[in-house]
Amino acid sequence: MSGRSSDSTARPSGIGRVATPQPKAADAEIREVATSLAESVRSFRRSLHIRTVDTGSCAVCESEIRLLAAPHYDLHRLGFFFTPAPRHADLLLVTGPVARGMEVALRKTYDAMPDPKAVVAVGACPLGGVFAPDDWVHGNLDAVIPVDVFVPGCPPSPLALLHGLLLAVGRLGAKVTEDPFTATATPRPAADAPPPTKAVEVSQPAVAAEAASRSETT
Amino acid sequence: MSRVDVVRAAPGDFETVLLRLLGASDARVADLFASTASTAPAAPAAPAAPTAPGGPDGAQPDRAITLRAIVASDAEGGYVVVESDFEDGVYPPLSDLSPATFVEECEIFEEFSARPMGGKPLNRVLVPPHAETDFPRLGTGPPVVEPGVRAPHVVAGQAFEFPVGPVRGVGQESLYMGLVTTGEEVLDLYLHQWHKHRGIERRVHGWPAERALFLVERAEGLSAVATAWAFCRAVERAAAVAVPAPVERTRAVALELERLYNHAAAVAALCQSTGLSVGQAQAEIALERLLRVNLAAAGHRYLFGTLAIGGVTRALDVSAVRALLPEAVAELRRVVRALRTTNSFLDRLEAAGTVPQETARGLGLVGPIARASGVEIDCRRDHPYGPYAEHPPEVRTRHSGDVLARMEVMAEEVEDSRRLIWDLTAAGLDSGCVPVPYGEPATGLGWCESPRGESLAWVSVDEEGRIERLRLRPASVRNWRAFDDAARARNVFTDVPIIEASFWLTVAGFAR
Amino acid sequence: MAFWTLRGLLRGVVTTRYPAAGPRDQWATALPTPPRFVEGHVGPDVASRVVAVCPSRALWLDGDALVLDLGACTACGACRRAAPHAVRESGVSELAALRRADLVKRIPLRASAR
Repeated sequence: MSGRSSDSTARPSGIGRVATPQPKAADAEIREVATSLAESVRSFRRSLHIRTVDTGSCAVCESEIRLLAAPHYDLHRLGFFFTPAPRHADLLLVTGPVARGMEVALRKTYDAMPDPKAVVAVGACPLGGVFAPDDWVHGNLDAVIPVDVFVPGCPPSPLALLHGLLLAVGRLGAKVTEDPFTATATPRPAADAPPPTKAVEVSQPAVAAEAASRSETT
Repeated sequence: MSRVDVVRAAPGDFETVLLRLLGASDARVADLFASTASTAPAAPAAPAAPTAPGGPDGAQPDRAITLRAIVASDAEGGYVVVESDFEDGVYPPLSDLSPATFVEECEIFEEFSARPMGGKPLNRVLVPPHAETDFPRLGTGPPVVEPGVRAPHVVAGQAFEFPVGPVRGVGQESLYMGLVTTGEEVLDLYLHQWHKHRGIERRVHGWPAERALFLVERAEGLSAVATAWAFCRAVERAAAVAVPAPVERTRAVALELERLYNHAAAVAALCQSTGLSVGQAQAEIALERLLRVNLAAAGHRYLFGTLAIGGVTRALDVSAVRALLPEAVAELRRVVRALRTTNSFLDRLEAAGTVPQETARGLGLVGPIARASGVEIDCRRDHPYGPYAEHPPEVRTRHSGDVLARMEVMAEEVEDSRRLIWDLTAAGLDSGCVPVPYGEPATGLGWCESPRGESLAWVSVDEEGRIERLRLRPASVRNWRAFDDAARARNVFTDVPIIEASFWLTVAGFAR
Repeated sequence: MAFWTLRGLLRGVVTTRYPAAGPRDQWATALPTPPRFVEGHVGPDVASRVVAVCPSRALWLDGDALVLDLGACTACGACRRAAPHAVRESGVSELAALRRADLVKRIPLRASAR
């Protein structure tokens, strides 16, 4: 399964390597990686179960949420699981501008979730970007149920959603907190290219460790 | 070839004109909608402020409507807009002529409180079924739902209703499915899609067309290009603007890219619904690659913001498309080939969710669903627009009308879309917008073959390009109405998700 | 199961982590991102122009500052097209925040008009 999710170029060599006997020199490396793995797994002892509610989205945020479980992103590797029952859910992903017709269903879902629970607002719609509040939609999820994590984007890419989920469980820090979203006054011609993204603030030193640079997500 | 004729009929002649038009072979009523009567200057449409839609509350003046039926002549090509004013809110029952228009008649009643003659019962489509009797909601929001409202669980005798939704599985849109069953077989199924209704058509009243485009794209995000193209064409027709051919080709490439990822997503959903997780993972790899092609080509995974009125906002990166697309399509092709030889998968698909050809015609279905039932329509070919006169698509059909047929049609359209993208990029693309001069108040009709089928948009703009009435009819509006028929056709419970995946519709497009 | 774990570890593939250094692949850098305003180039004229074109109510004027609401921003690029010299792509697509206020940025306006 893991072979499928990596690049097609990497796949044949990976399969080939499994067939060959393991070289002794790799043992230390394996132990090292396994140790750091165990360390980071300890930080989320319990697995986290996610319920989603669509409150009037255009179906694109739904598509991105479905892709979270797809091989390229593979949400399950991070200890997150989707659940069809709100009573099993720890975290609620809400998409859409909170159409008034969905209000009761949204509240019932929220109330059915056991405490502690977290709510993640997914995309510009529940953050009030796309639809102004009026007779049909609330426009803001905040106005209906308390929101713990805000994930902007139209739609937020699966990577942004993963970041939001990890932020929700306290395993990553927010990136936007210090960024003023102003650039320096001297315009450089090269600045048209997107600037290199800053390294993520990491709450656990172990998570910043080396081997993750070759994580399958990228 | 692709003309739009506007016929203004006297109220008494409306039915006769329609009958005459429908007498032609392959003519169908593609849409039916109403707007506040243009002849009544005393009651203008909702004012510009979108937050205060305060439509006139007095019931009587609202009932004067202008009714428009859009008749598509698929054999000859061209649309005819038949319009007529009805003063007293009663119009001829068109669903007697064309059963396909029943849902539209319900929508007209909900919005304008105008109803077809004869007092036939109407369903509630975009308002809750437990709404008050005075529910027509021109300019008002949906009625408040009481928290205690529950679906009836016992229907009759031994049958009971299995309520599914509106909050459903992960990453599925909100939709209430009432599955009536005695335990295994689906006796009946009905849908409620009103939960998600966002009132986009009303919301854009008084907005400049450019601003309205932003919401139009988000009416049905999975066919953002198709809906936006139909809307842009409607506005461009109203302003009598011609978009240069290379720019139209850019739009067409975006449209075909949209078709590719949607069909990949449908295959992934089919695998998910049949519990074939390996196939699902493989199809999702293809889907993700196609989305990344979109990102590299247009700067957005779902191609939002690519189209603008009068042109496109950005040039597509053709070299990226040509470099990345073959591998992504090949991945999808491998999946489909493997699926076609997987008996356990095919067993679930064959003879499931059958839509017979008469049903498809009678309900006015469009797109891959109609084509899988042997109805050979594709508005890229029947009503060529943009570059499709020079680059016609191959219309693929099947006759069994089951889930397998729909999957095969989609798989063949993937190949055709890839070919079209190659032809269109070879012919040369261009970007940019032509200026759109608004002069007289005008109306326009636009159409586009979305991944789900024919998508229509009709606008009426004033002299400054502000929207007076917008009518969006994405393919989902048409095709959902066959879902209950398909689900009833001797299927069991577990077939319903498979049928839903093969339809690959969005609730957002219906409850726009 | 152990076989697969071993295989993954051997290849240096650790699947239980979020990519620590953020997206680096070419495809991820192409994701649409909210605007970044160039300091000193945002005068009242530019500000009113970008506020007028924003389709998602993510920009508004507040006294001597332009307010950018990243939550409402759909990264559509309308403001970049309206004022190319003053607005750039920020390149930040992972914008999740724990407080709504963290997503609201104030961009000081240049005092003089040009």
